[in-house]
Amino acid sequence: MGRLVLRRLGATVPVLLLVTAGVFLLLHLTPGDPIDVMMAESVDATVKETLRRELGLDRPLHVQYAAWMGRLLRGDLGRSIRNGEPVIESVSRRLRPSLELALFAMAISLVIAFPLGVVSAIRRNTPIDRAGATFALFGICMPNFLLALLLIFLFGVTLRWLPISGYTDPLEEPWNGLRSLALPAVTLGLALAAVVTRTLRSSLLEALAEDYVRTARAKGLSEWRVIWSHVLKNALIPVVTVLGLQLGTLIGGAVITEYVFALPGVGRLVVDAVFARDYPLVQAA
Amino acid sequence: MATRRDFLLMCAVASGLPLVSPDPRQAAGADVPKKGGTLRVGFYIEAATMDPHFSGSKIDRQVYHNIYEPLVTLDVKLGIKPGLAESWQQPDPKTLIFKLRRGVKFHDGTDFNAEAARFNFNRMKTEPKSVRKGEVASIDSVDVVDAYTIKLNLKRPDAALLATLTDRAVMMVSPKVVQERGSELERNARGAGTGPFEFVEWVKDAHLLIKRNESYWNKQGGPYLERVRYRPIPDDTVKLQSLQSGEIDVMDYVQPRDVAAVRADRNVVVVDVPSLADFAYQLNHTRPPFATKALRQAVAYALDLDQIVKGVWLNVGVPANGPIPPTSWAYDKTISPIRRDLARAKAKLAEGGQAAGFTFTMTTNNIPINVQEAEVIQAQLREAGITMKIKLVDSATLLADGNSKNFEMISYQWSGRPDPDGNTYQFYRTTPGTSLNWSGISNPQVDALLDRTREVSSQSERKKLFSELTKILQDELPMVFIIHPIEPKAFSPKVQGYEPIPDGMMRFKDVWLQ
Repeated sequence: MGRLVLRRLGATVPVLLLVTAGVFLLLHLTPGDPIDVMMAESVDATVKETLRRELGLDRPLHVQYAAWMGRLLRGDLGRSIRNGEPVIESVSRRLRPSLELALFAMAISLVIAFPLGVVSAIRRNTPIDRAGATFALFGICMPNFLLALLLIFLFGVTLRWLPISGYTDPLEEPWNGLRSLALPAVTLGLALAAVVTRTLRSSLLEALAEDYVRTARAKGLSEWRVIWSHVLKNALIPVVTVLGLQLGTLIGGAVITEYVFALPGVGRLVVDAVFARDYPLVQAA
Repeated sequence: MATRRDFLLMCAVASGLPLVSPDPRQAAGADVPKKGGTLRVGFYIEAATMDPHFSGSKIDRQVYHNIYEPLVTLDVKLGIKPGLAESWQQPDPKTLIFKLRRGVKFHDGTDFNAEAARFNFNRMKTEPKSVRKGEVASIDSVDVVDAYTIKLNLKRPDAALLATLTDRAVMMVSPKVVQERGSELERNARGAGTGPFEFVEWVKDAHLLIKRNESYWNKQGGPYLERVRYRPIPDDTVKLQSLQSGEIDVMDYVQPRDVAAVRADRNVVVVDVPSLADFAYQLNHTRPPFATKALRQAVAYALDLDQIVKGVWLNVGVPANGPIPPTSWAYDKTISPIRRDLARAKAKLAEGGQAAGFTFTMTTNNIPINVQEAEVIQAQLREAGITMKIKLVDSATLLADGNSKNFEMISYQWSGRPDPDGNTYQFYRTTPGTSLNWSGISNPQVDALLDRTREVSSQSERKKLFSELTKILQDELPMVFIIHPIEPKAFSPKVQGYEPIPDGMMRFKDVWLQ
């Protein structure tokens, strides 16, 4: 067992090297450089060169990569070129809003998807099932930015129930925090709910056709008990897998939602860092 | 103290535009400023740094003008008035003496005096990351004459220097803060300024908070506001909706497409702040096709600026006759923008040896209004037989392409400077290597004129020189000039006392909330 773990861990080393080297190379091959962005208004070429030298950006790429890797192995992810802040601080500060948003979105998706998926499976091919399918189609097809703007218009501008943009930490101000995350969480949660509803429905249908279900019914268990105690447990395996995969995407990939609602999340940090060519920040994120 | 009505009037007068009708719900007796409240300001992007000497971003200046102060400041007509210097004199063209204001303290409690001023000048000139080096390049040394007098010794006469000193160049930073927490200053400006507001905190991408400086030296008028909270809201539609729903009180810029709708909204007051900006396209003189003057002129004669300003910018700006905006004292209204003349464009094509037309690539930012403008230009040029391909890039690539002269025609949007020198010298003066002279123009007549504008101190004389320069630029075409945009800002009707200065910066000293 110990050897297996070691082997697995060993195998991740080349993968990590390959991924970091790939990102490093792609970033540096992209036209533009951080000094040009920072000093867009400066006419003094020697100033730019001095700064480039000071930050080591004039060195060959493999030397820069080796230096970065060396620092990484010592636990130092470097500092942002743009504002000098240690990147570990920038990234870790952004993780909280992203994680909160992802969990909130997931909770919303489960609240919707769970009953809808179960009812769609039990009442297969009835109007309820078709309504569920329509909802799923809507949720999957609707682009995030459009849904976000529609929600803002309805709940923010017209009804004025919820704040439109900005972030309040729910751990510090629970009520305001949840309100600030409500619209973005619904935006992300609806799309996720659509996927989860369909996954749960098909997985339930598969489980319902199993022999043990027939046995359970033959034992005289109520339909509710059959579903709740026997079918759901087995049917949830693919749903958990989907949720696990989506959590990663939600934390780092909710860029559009973070932009529209002006949330300080990881996705926005990465995109801004790419635009500013802030290499250490992109590498760390 | 300007009342809101005054401010609307000043704005209308300054911009030459019809007066925006004041909000009908304005309460009686609203003219008496009152203290307190938090002003919530929406910006389109995040500030980049809190160190004015390292800043290369326009949005930073919006914050700086409330927490830091330069030696001299601008009035609504771009005149220069005392700031941290209460007076100045120029005994000869190469000497500038400033009498500094007494009793001014930095937010960290230390004194602002001649030593502090010299420290700042030296920092701008020697710090490796200083973006201000070019702006203070004409200053050779700074002498402390007495505790409240400094003398700038210039390398050469520089008529534009005083106007340059109204912004980030010589915004005074506490020497103690720099010495103790210099590297942190970019993210945390606590105690660093002398302005009417003090830095409190900056949570990146969430908010930047400043509070009233209770011991501000200028006891006339404000600061009235308790706090100002800046928030980056990157999506323009959401930012506007945030204003309409009362989540923010001010937005820095209204997109031209939204101006008409916002004007119709009684819950929002739109102010057309005339800008110093100059939006143009640089033409690369160092490589074909635009190394040939006739082909540059062919492009200029094929463009219909009126149509671009009307159709793309929805009249939120005026067609440009050159780099100097109508807000400037140096603007010459007798020089018309280049008019469209297709016959002349075709004649110029023939003169340039491309009678059947030619193909080139234009590089521009991938943002909606730039793309629209590029498409309109593409269609206009097609009518003259010129084929333009569009290359859409992000800002970093645009800058890299411009700096390395890796373009044929490239978009250039300059926010402008109070002195016309800031809109001209660095773009058209012969400069070897990397510079803002992306076009690579090198014209002895232009160089001589530009140098002369710095040497001559009389404003009327300088105006003549800039007129002459504008005419040469219309002929030589290092850039095709498109528009001097207006910068509409939008306010909640409860915001009072804002003075629109054409540099577009929002100074909140005398602003209060009804």
